[in-house]
Amino acid sequence: MNEKDNLMSIENYISDLKIRFPQITNVEVINVKRLMVHIPTSVLAQITGYWFNELNYRYIIVSAMDSKDGFELIYHYSDDSSGWIMSLNVMLAHNEPTVESMTPIVYGIEWIEREIMDILGIQFLNHPKPERFLLPENWPEGNYPYRRKIRKEDR
Amino acid sequence: MGKKTIVPIGPYHPLLEEPEFFKLYCDGETVVDMEWETGYNHRGIEKICESKTFEQVFYVVERICGICSTSHPFAYANAVESIGAVEIPVRAKLIRSIIGELERVHSHLLWVGLAGHFLGYNTVFMWAWKYREPVLDMFEIITGNRNSYAMFTIGGVRRDIDENKASQLIKVLEDVKIKTDLLVGAVMDDPVIHARLKGVGTLTAKDIHDFGAVGPTARASGVDIDVRRDDPYAAYDMVNWKVITVKEGDVFAKAEVRLLELYESISIINQCLQLLKKEKEGDIKAKVREIPAGIGIGHAEAPRGEVFHFVKSDGGNSPVRHKIRAPSYNCITTFRRSCIGGTISDAAIATAAVDPCYCCTERMIQVYDHNSGKRTMSAAELIKLSQQKTEELNKQFSAKDRS
Repeated sequence: MNEKDNLMSIENYISDLKIRFPQITNVEVINVKRLMVHIPTSVLAQITGYWFNELNYRYIIVSAMDSKDGFELIYHYSDDSSGWIMSLNVMLAHNEPTVESMTPIVYGIEWIEREIMDILGIQFLNHPKPERFLLPENWPEGNYPYRRKIRKEDR
Repeated sequence: MGKKTIVPIGPYHPLLEEPEFFKLYCDGETVVDMEWETGYNHRGIEKICESKTFEQVFYVVERICGICSTSHPFAYANAVESIGAVEIPVRAKLIRSIIGELERVHSHLLWVGLAGHFLGYNTVFMWAWKYREPVLDMFEIITGNRNSYAMFTIGGVRRDIDENKASQLIKVLEDVKIKTDLLVGAVMDDPVIHARLKGVGTLTAKDIHDFGAVGPTARASGVDIDVRRDDPYAAYDMVNWKVITVKEGDVFAKAEVRLLELYESISIINQCLQLLKKEKEGDIKAKVREIPAGIGIGHAEAPRGEVFHFVKSDGGNSPVRHKIRAPSYNCITTFRRSCIGGTISDAAIATAAVDPCYCCTERMIQVYDHNSGKRTMSAAELIKLSQQKTEELNKQFSAKDRS
């Protein structure tokens, strides 16, 4: 497939995805072969199920960060047949960082969700084992090492 | 179910002697459940990277892992260069691929040696490590270091490979190829190794999909994925090579994939060196002024699988967020499927089969009594158990031969 066909098919793919899930707020091609889909938390489970089970995308990892507008969770999946990395971007409010756990759909996501729970204090609802993972047992409650006290954007 | 025993493996893995901790829940000899604990050696590298400049981060991520010390800079370079849409010179692409593949050769040889030791084949261990030495020496000649080569930089590489070094490298690879034949013969034709590894720690293609496992672990279960082919970077689309896949999914299949990959890597390096010869002496680094604001996602195929780097830039001189996913992070979790149902003496080699890298993932195995919570077995005892099993098989086979 050449470069042009590739772009054509990704445009078709994006419009198809938007029809399937009208709740999608924004879709952007961030780089060569990198797609970022911004969604509200309500459709996270649906799109994850569609990508992981129906399209057979490979689960890579979840990146979490404390940004200006809230906690950003980015679920990375890879379409190995085309080499595209597809990412789902969910923004959680600073005062209410809760989201549904994706472990029932993607089995391997369990550990990274526990890690994010430790470092950022995000609650994953219906997680099968919401226990400490990275931090020791005696780590003080409510102390999350990756939360920013001073945001870089504020400087 | 009767009385269950918990077997703790760790805090040092019986094979690799790095901090990690697995609890194997056992019913008699059979493993029924597994738990994974981590955090013993967390270095906060993601956080450190946020306080370094884009250029400095290379030297931080290089130190994540001592064995695959070029795969992290490789993925990081792919990520950062994608933000700035940096086009790197062809010469640099070729040198990057050569270093990447040379690293795969030494890493796979290291694994073959360790797996041999683990099974009680100390000769294989000594051979494999002996043959690995010239590869490390070659690294020293090319980069100045046997490990942590510091070859990568934004826009290219830092050192060139000249005619003289190229011809030395070709000679070393010829020798490694002969020695690989020897190792392949030793592993593939040994009936005891067949009996010991076939059907042990089997992972199906579904298991691989569930956990998102990558690299030789996935390819040994017939999952045909390889970042080098699927999303080509550096010089991998300029050379001919094939992705090795085996269907069985057991430990033997994983060994087979790694051994056969040695040949592919050697072939890639030779082709790159030929292309390098044709390429005129020239730039090995593109000029990069600054990294604009944006998100960069880069991945690279390390010896153990896909290394994934996510870099967010705000237009300043350092990353705002740097997320690193080492291949072992996803591969280690497959122990839940590969160990459960097997015997304790197989657990050790099943866990070692994915070539877990704890400095990358930084996590810790142990054997506990399920009811009393008492530790019942130490790491050294577990190795002994594994070696004893091979010895018994050896005796059985030689008894058969006599009769």
